Amino acid sequence: MKLFLKITAAALTGAALGLGATAYTVTRGFGFDIIKAGPWRGMPQVPASGGDPYARAIISRSGQAPLGVAEGLGFTATRDSAGAQLSAACDYKISGAMPSARFWTLTVTDGEGRLVDHPGKRAGFTSSEMLRDAQGGFEIRLARRARSGNWLPLAMPDSFTLTLRLYDSPHSLSAGALDAAEMPQIVRERCA
Amino acid sequence: MTKKKPSRFLSRPLEAMIWLVAIICIAGIVHLSTILLLPRLAPHTPYARLAAQVPDNTLALLPPIEAGHEILPFEDPATALAACPYDITRGPLRLRGQLAPDAPVLLSFHGRYGQTFYAMTDRSALRGRVDVVVATRDQLDDIEANDADDELPQELRLLSPARQGFILLRALAERPSLRGEARDRLASLTCEVQ
Repeated sequence: MKLFLKITAAALTGAALGLGATAYTVTRGFGFDIIKAGPWRGMPQVPASGGDPYARAIISRSGQAPLGVAEGLGFTATRDSAGAQLSAACDYKISGAMPSARFWTLTVTDGEGRLVDHPGKRAGFTSSEMLRDAQGGFEIRLARRARSGNWLPLAMPDSFTLTLRLYDSPHSLSAGALDAAEMPQIVRERCA
Repeated sequence: MTKKKPSRFLSRPLEAMIWLVAIICIAGIVHLSTILLLPRLAPHTPYARLAAQVPDNTLALLPPIEAGHEILPFEDPATALAACPYDITRGPLRLRGQLAPDAPVLLSFHGRYGQTFYAMTDRSALRGRVDVVVATRDQLDDIEANDADDELPQELRLLSPARQGFILLRALAERPSLRGEARDRLASLTCEVQ
């Protein structure tokens, strides 16, 4: 009887740990093939040949349709360049380098990839509508209150996710080669 | 008669170790099997989400990507989206149409669980012409058996990893005022079972 109880306890503990590990890896976007560059993490790309089982599990759970390698690269960020969780209570400045692409977009969503309603109806910027300085550099400001220049409103209650998409980018085939210096920086300015 | 205490043939630390290894093994098996089974068990796969909106084997424009009206998560609000969920049990699927010059359109072909089996942009379409056949292995063999010997096929032929899947078309709008035009770019394409 004692042995039976021990076996049951071991089985339950093991199952709980296994399920916990699955939930953690799938919701946190962990996978073998996930590219990392500074605060940015590559969105899973899942080829037909199967690919990374973790990436498959991530996309089937979230229901997203990943960009194909020939279409471009997608990145998400849930932390700033200093490693702190992105919070809608703070102001952020996004600037710096941008990998070459035919067209890029930057979008603000909640953690599940949903847009958040806002009277301004602006959820993102595209590379061609961006106001730029004389050198062609750009600066995007994220804040709850309106800012001059390229302002993206933060309308969500707490944390948020940034999605950067590089369409038709030559980096698509050598994604592993991108590092933090080639990607835009996310700098926290002040918090309410 | 006094009850005899069972003799221990394993020392206490060794026994604890065996239980620990057993727990880790069970955790590992549960973890790996759930990761592998998730694509089959997940209720909201992209195919399921699209098939709930669009009938199989037809190409339809999806509503503009706005807060509260998204069909797929992590889609770009700067794109107009059209989808063709398909089931090629009855015959191969053909996607055809004409794309405008130098207006960015992305085409991707996905299996049931969202895996991408082919992707292309308007730049890889010859003179803007899109003509793609999506078929199973058997259907491809049939098509090839009927090919004329001296002619190259005009269409692109793709092997679908499963009978069900979906095609996604994304037209990029450089600014919000061009979203209507981006939607029109996709309206000229059709998707049908042959």
